[in-house]
Amino acid sequence: METVSLPHLPDYPLHICLFKDVNNAPFLRQQLLEGNTDFEYAFLDASILLSRNQVLAACFRAINDLLQDRLKSRNVHSEIVFSLSPNNNISESFRRFGVAETSRHILAVKVGGVQSQIEQHLKGSVEGNLVPLTDEQFAELRDESRLRKVYKIGATGNEAEAFVIGSMALKGS
Amino acid sequence: MAQPPPQQPLRTLPPPFNTSAESFELIAQGAESLLYRTTFLSPAQPAALKVRPQKTWRHPTLDKRLTRQRVLAEARVLVKLSGEGIVAGGGGRKVKDPKKKNDGGGDNGGVGALRGLVPAVLALDWERGWLVTEWIDGVTVKLGIYQRDLAADEGVLRGLLGRIGRVVGLLHLAGVVHGDLTTSNMMLRPTRTPGTNADAMARAEEERGEVEVEGGLEGDIVLIDFGLATQSVSDEDRAVDLYVLERAFGSTHPKEEGQFDEVLKAYGESMGKPGKVVLRRLEDVRMRGRKKSMLG
Amino acid sequence: MPVAIGLEGSANKLGVGIILHPPHQTADPPSPHDSAHSDDEAFSTRTQKHTSPPVQILANLRHTYNSPPGTGFLPKDTAAHHRRWVVRLVKQAMKQAKVQLEDIDCICYTKGPGMGAPLGSVAIAARTLSQLWEKPLVGVNHCVGHIEMGRAITGADNPVVLYVSGGNTQVIAYSAQRYRIFGEALDIAVGNCLDRFARVLNIPNDPAPGYNIEQLAKKGKVLLELPYAVKGMDVSFSGILARVEEMARKLETSQTSGGGPWKDDESGQPITKEDLCFTLQETVYAMLVEITERAMAHVGASQVLVVGGVGCNERLQQMMGMMAAERGGSVFATDERFCIDNGIMIAHAGLIAWRMGFRTPLEESTFTQRFRTDEVLINWRD
Repeated sequence: METVSLPHLPDYPLHICLFKDVNNAPFLRQQLLEGNTDFEYAFLDASILLSRNQVLAACFRAINDLLQDRLKSRNVHSEIVFSLSPNNNISESFRRFGVAETSRHILAVKVGGVQSQIEQHLKGSVEGNLVPLTDEQFAELRDESRLRKVYKIGATGNEAEAFVIGSMALKGS
Repeated sequence: MAQPPPQQPLRTLPPPFNTSAESFELIAQGAESLLYRTTFLSPAQPAALKVRPQKTWRHPTLDKRLTRQRVLAEARVLVKLSGEGIVAGGGGRKVKDPKKKNDGGGDNGGVGALRGLVPAVLALDWERGWLVTEWIDGVTVKLGIYQRDLAADEGVLRGLLGRIGRVVGLLHLAGVVHGDLTTSNMMLRPTRTPGTNADAMARAEEERGEVEVEGGLEGDIVLIDFGLATQSVSDEDRAVDLYVLERAFGSTHPKEEGQFDEVLKAYGESMGKPGKVVLRRLEDVRMRGRKKSMLG
Repeated sequence: MPVAIGLEGSANKLGVGIILHPPHQTADPPSPHDSAHSDDEAFSTRTQKHTSPPVQILANLRHTYNSPPGTGFLPKDTAAHHRRWVVRLVKQAMKQAKVQLEDIDCICYTKGPGMGAPLGSVAIAARTLSQLWEKPLVGVNHCVGHIEMGRAITGADNPVVLYVSGGNTQVIAYSAQRYRIFGEALDIAVGNCLDRFARVLNIPNDPAPGYNIEQLAKKGKVLLELPYAVKGMDVSFSGILARVEEMARKLETSQTSGGGPWKDDESGQPITKEDLCFTLQETVYAMLVEITERAMAHVGASQVLVVGGVGCNERLQQMMGMMAAERGGSVFATDERFCIDNGIMIAHAGLIAWRMGFRTPLEESTFTQRFRTDEVLINWRD
């Protein structure tokens, strides 16, 4: 697990785990649907993620919107999922970027909390292999064609990052 | 690195930056914005924070409206440009694609060559009036020219002027006019990221023998400060954009003024057919500029 | 001691002023005894920061041609007005100033810019005086007159100048012996925009349409959305005028037809004439302050001087003051004696030029509707 402290948001550390080959996506999804308070995470489908910066930018936006009291969804974790979307459709963003029955690779993000407890809980709840949070890993795990479709882009390398992050930042304008 | 202390008290920064422990180096203070160098997604990643402070003299409703419009306009142009050549079906989101890509573009390194030659948008808050973009390394073209080695071959300078013309051509071809082209609003970015389009373009130039790898004027031209940019494909707007650059160049670099034609030449080449029309229009704009001195 | 008489008539005001420039050597500031000479009070002691000796205003008279509400002043009628009044005003000014013919060094008149016919009648008056009295003529640029008078009155040494009137909208800064125009209105002048709006709402032209709009605006509350047309340091008002005229007609129809009052979407308040005046003022003055701020940032100035008829507007002065204060500077403005077109500014700017040796020979004593501020060589400044 990696704990990231975003510059300017020192009070909101991000605890992030990237899991490869997850076996129990339906279970994780079920916990979210039931509103199990032990599972207050943003569970993202990693196959549709482009880069580490993209994830951090989504987290920044969600926390900033929380601070500005203008969340569009229930809490900061669901807002992270929504922040990845290039458009304003909340349920669509959950379908596209959130954990699904069929998700194979999952990125879990927790805003705040005690690192050791979160790590322990995540490792105990997600059945998959923890891998480092690097752009190389994202490149390996992603589903190129879905990524292209969702962001309406023709390329999914480094060169797409600026446009993807920019589109996320402009959402809702 | 010794950094001067922030000249503006931090309390003037909008949230969340007003409670940040990061450093903010005031780089420029314009009439309506403050530009800081700070960090953003990681402590190792420098970023440019542009803040548009509230104007207390303006009616609050109007002030909010203008701040929102301007932050968004700038961000939209930058995002649109960062999507050049990779966006399925043309330009960026929320922007009208001005013309089909078969605008007759000439020797411009291909569609999308501009991507990477404008700063990437990282975040913005149009209610609070701020925009964070990637930090562009290097010196301004203005400083580069001031500090250039006068003993060096004039070809180095011509190479630089050619790259300026080409970038402006690409910008116009992408359906954007900058609105404030000066040599202070262009960076000379020293290193190229291998594998990018800009890199490929520059290497192609070198192969064609157009660029000498000497003299401190090397590097990609990166356009910055899109605060007055608009989306337009009109010949008039494009010509005025060039005219603003021409006048600014002449007054900033009187010694080099005679070589400005290099910029226009490269502009014409990179724009192709539409460029010729714009350059003809530029003549009209110049005439008008001179005639203007007789109007009341 | 140099004395000049100035004749101004570029628009609907006829102005005659007589000025005296005390010699440079004077150690003591002149006493403001001259104030007794004119119902237009002479400037008093506001000029503490003055570096050169202040000027003495011996007379400053004005007569305004006001057309009926709903109409603008036409060149022909305005010229006739000036012809009718110029002799009376000159006589009265001479009497007030208590100067003899031999005291007068030159006759200054507005060469342009402005409306042709009124400029012409005043130029003829100036030529006639010049030949009758055998005094040299000095043709003066109207805008330079405003700037020099503003500097003299306020003591602003090297300000960015916002010149706003019925015919002009310019942001000016001095550089290398010229008053350079950094920004301007690309279509109609701001004062023209206000005047024409006043006509649509039948707001009286007396004492000035802009003044009456200002009084109404004080009671306005709702800010409606108008185009905001700033491009770099230039502005445009024609789109705003078209939109606000449309609003004025909408207001009129809503008041006369049975459809009920026009209400603000957000507050539900009925929109009033006052709201339209408020909206127009807030929008156009914000534009003017913005381009002035840009010019100040551009040249690194902290002082701003507002001149021209629209410069009397208190709201504009207030906004400008707040802007300047935020930049650590200050705003300088004059009252209606000097910001509204007047003869004294023509006498003043003309006398400065005369002292530099400038004369306008009779055969060159023309007038011109178009005369750019930056055409004049300002050889009296460094």
